[in-house]
Amino acid sequence: MFQNFRLSMAWLHTWFGLVLGFVLMAIFFFGALSVFDREIDRWAIPESRFAPQPMPSFDNLLKPIFADMQPGKADLDFVRDKVNGPLPERFDTVVTWGAYTTHRDPVLNIFAGYEVPNAKEPDVTVFSSRTIDPRTGVLFSDDQLKIGSGFFYPLHYSLNFHWMNLGYWIVGFSSLIMLAALVSGVVMHRKIFRELFTFRPKKSTQRSALDLHNLTGVVALPFHFFFAFTGLVIFAGIYFPIGHTQMKSLHDQHEVVEAQETGLPHDRAGVAAPVASVDAMVAEAQRRWAERGMAGEVGFLTLRHVGDANGYVSVYRAGTDRIALTGEGIHFKASTGELLREDPPSTVVASVNEFLTGLHLQHFRHWMLRWLYVLGGLAGCVCIATGFIFFVEKRKRQYAKEGSQNGRIVDAMAVTTVTGMLLATLGILIANRLLPASLPEGWPGRGDLEQYFFWGTWVAVMVHAFLRSAPVAQGKINPAWSEQCLALAVLAPVTVLLNWITTGDHLVKTISEGYWPVAGFDLAILVGGILAFIAARHLRRKGKGAPQDATDFADAEVQHG
Amino acid sequence: MSTSTLSARHVISRIGAGVLGGYAFVWGFIALGIAGLYALDVPFHDAEAVSNILGFLLFLTVFLWAFAARSVNRVWLVLVGGGLLMTGIATLIEQSLV
Repeated sequence: MFQNFRLSMAWLHTWFGLVLGFVLMAIFFFGALSVFDREIDRWAIPESRFAPQPMPSFDNLLKPIFADMQPGKADLDFVRDKVNGPLPERFDTVVTWGAYTTHRDPVLNIFAGYEVPNAKEPDVTVFSSRTIDPRTGVLFSDDQLKIGSGFFYPLHYSLNFHWMNLGYWIVGFSSLIMLAALVSGVVMHRKIFRELFTFRPKKSTQRSALDLHNLTGVVALPFHFFFAFTGLVIFAGIYFPIGHTQMKSLHDQHEVVEAQETGLPHDRAGVAAPVASVDAMVAEAQRRWAERGMAGEVGFLTLRHVGDANGYVSVYRAGTDRIALTGEGIHFKASTGELLREDPPSTVVASVNEFLTGLHLQHFRHWMLRWLYVLGGLAGCVCIATGFIFFVEKRKRQYAKEGSQNGRIVDAMAVTTVTGMLLATLGILIANRLLPASLPEGWPGRGDLEQYFFWGTWVAVMVHAFLRSAPVAQGKINPAWSEQCLALAVLAPVTVLLNWITTGDHLVKTISEGYWPVAGFDLAILVGGILAFIAARHLRRKGKGAPQDATDFADAEVQHG
Repeated sequence: MSTSTLSARHVISRIGAGVLGGYAFVWGFIALGIAGLYALDVPFHDAEAVSNILGFLLFLTVFLWAFAARSVNRVWLVLVGGGLLMTGIATLIEQSLV
């Protein structure tokens, strides 16, 4: 198909990059935001703006809350068609109770899973989850969307498109393409070292876009490669569900052997038994971790087969002090508090796997590295966006000559994914601050409405980008770029202002109190707005000036095949 | 692009070979890795993890190869044939173990 290896790689880089770059852009951007997902949650749910809390007492605080929990209507909808006949009024057989927190969470996530009677297949479980204030046990409303951990973060890995898991598959395929784009990008360029230091902002847009594309691609190459790769590894079970399909019998055989080895009962005994003091078990677990010289905060607490003689309690550490994602679980018999098992140290393979996934998911405490992740993610966005601009700039004269509209489409999509995505992000934040706490009967939930605002804004700015794209066909700049930059420059301070008006938390207050989750996010929004303003002015000046000269075109042609 | 032989059919065949052929090949590789390592007494989840990690690197390699290779038919043959072969051997190993 191609004359040589380099050309085949250039083809792959250009066309796959073009088609999936739009998705990758969203993955990178919302991945960068997800680094601070818990902080964004605080911004979105003002009632939760207090310091991170340790795991509360189970015996006094959590137990009565768990005992009161029942699946809601939405939870029941998940299992309705997996049952013969109607669902019961109450679910009494508890498969599991769990509570999960991190060193950045003031609120506590709890969940309960119940056995479903008359299920068509064994092991059907209906889950219910809540968010509570661990200081008081007060429940947060289900309607409050955690915009960081509950919207931006799943957007990063699933596009929030859950039909047939298709979102995961698109993200997975895009990750593969990201890896391929990195390798093919390196193959295309011989002078890779020089590109680390090359950026000529004063040259033609095509030239400087390519410089920036190469610079951000090469400087952050290990970062991009690592994250695209480990992202695939994290969801390997979805992309290659071999252990649950072809190799299911081996997997099941292993599970039985494992249950024998660990001594943790796989099933209920059918004999009722009370639950002893879980707080005492937690204290014992912490004593054992301290003996091993490990930090002792509890990250994950779970009870299995609650109320049964086979019930057990597992206590896992919050992994704040190292990269690998393991919990050094310690397990107790629920009815007596007797120690059943301490998880042994990980095997070599498991350690490698936990390190790879842990470095991606970043549960450890390291604020500097957290910010570097954000920068790496944004560098990825710059790399992809400049790729689009280069694509259009390189072809715009040819398109203009042929009267082709292709450049318009690519350029309008680029506007949609660059400024449009930022506007959609501000859209959901503004909706979050403006929607009333309780909505009239018959309306969608508040959290759902916020999401509709996000997608609605995005569609609206996409329409705008396409409507304004006519000049691109003549080799000129789409005015939507500067108009949307201007919109960002206005809406960013408005967003911060709305936070002030609706919560009283202005920047002077949050900074002087050192409340960085909200202060940091406000500042980030403002910086984004200022950058958008500078970009808008720059674009406006450029749009008024003469069409760009053609210096360096030949040079760029040679480099890019 | 300075290539003259980019017929739509050929391009689709390349993409199909890289994506579908690559998937079949990596599926076979991971399945064989799990079954083979488990047969050698490696714990199940270790076998699975190491096969997944190597599997994705292999996917990247064969995906690139699908576009670089001279003959797209050979790519189809190797990836689908190899994938089926490895999947079959994996199942044979599994049946001998359970």
